[in-house]
Order: sequence, then structure tokens, then C-alpha cells
Amino acid sequence: MENALTITIWVVLVIHLLMALAAVWKVLRGENPAARLAGLDLFSTLTIAILIIIAIVSDSSLHIDLAIAAAALGYLTTIVLAKYISDQKVF
Amino acid sequence: MEMVLQISAFVFVVFGTFMSIIGVIGFIRMPDVYTRLHATGKVSAFGLVFLLMAAAILIPLNIWKTLLLIFFVLMASPSVAHTIASAAYRSKTPIVGKRDDLAARLGAQKIHSSEKPVSVDD
Repeated sequence: MENALTITIWVVLVIHLLMALAAVWKVLRGENPAARLAGLDLFSTLTIAILIIIAIVSDSSLHIDLAIAAAALGYLTTIVLAKYISDQKVF
Repeated sequence: MEMVLQISAFVFVVFGTFMSIIGVIGFIRMPDVYTRLHATGKVSAFGLVFLLMAAAILIPLNIWKTLLLIFFVLMASPSVAHTIASAAYRSKTPIVGKRDDLAARLGAQKIHSSEKPVSVDD
């Protein structure tokens, strides 16, 4: 059971890395700024997921702290970029 | 009891990854920014939250940090999706589809076609 859980978590890590790659591809090849911003938001969400999976694999507290920091930074970045796309200025 | 926790963590990880895969497939295949935002909402609301629940079971030392992160993700993800949709509408991103209720509300021109705005007042 322990072994099956470990193998599953490694497979899940690889799947999440591939999905993050797809999100980066959509950011680079988006057709308008809002589509690219949606891809950036998806990428920041998948970054949090990858950090959580690494925390499960290595049983460490550090990566959960990093995930909290990544969540806060991704939230702020997405809000500010959405305001910039909407108004053509930030403040 | 240990076995039950392990099995539930296994189920949470598999279900969260399944929902994330569905969300990313929808994000790639949907035609439009607004429909894509509907798909990416699944990734954070189901995929990430179930993964965090599995992490709360498997790393019991950090359960408060994990629960805090679940709370933060559930607070942040709808507001982020709403903000991106609002920014897309106000920067006149084209809509695939017929209906545009916000144009009738704002008295603005429809941004995707030349039809008259659908009235939603009655």
C-alpha cells in the first residue's frame, strides 16, 4: 500500500508537470492578452499543486511554506495584470 | 485507522488529478476566454483542494498550514476568475456565442456581432 501510494504520487507529479507545460504553451501562443492571462493563472495554480506534491514526496514543511508564498504572489500578479489589461494602466 | 487514512489520501490524490486533467483539457479545447475560465476554475477548486486534503492527511505535522492554504485558495480562485473575465470584457475580447447580457445592462455595443443587444430587463 505504501509503495502503491509512492508510485501514484510520482506519476501525479509527472502529469502535473506536463499540464504546466501545456499552460506555458497557451501563454506563449495565446490569441489575445486575456487568454494569455488565463493561462498564467492556470500556471500559477499548477505551480502550487506541484509544490504540494513535492512536499508530499519529500515529507517536508518547507515546500508548503513555498506553496503559501506562491499562492499569494500568483493572486496579486493576476489581479494587477487584469487591471492593466482592462484599463491600460495599473494605478 | 492508519490504513483508512492512507486509502482516503490515495483516493483524494487520484480524484484531484482527474479533475485537474479535465480542467486542463477544457482549457486547451474551449474556443473562448470566458469558457476557458470556466474550465480553469475546476483546476483550483477541485484539483488543488483535493490535493491539499491529501497533503493534510499525509503530512499531519503541517495540517494548519494546509488548511489555511485550502481556505486561501477557495477565497482567491473565484475572485481571480471574475477579475479576468471582467478585464477580458472591458478590453473587448470577442465572444463566441450569441448572448451578451452585460451589453444590454451597460447600454454598450455588443462586441462580437452586429445584432441588437438582447433585453434582459423584463
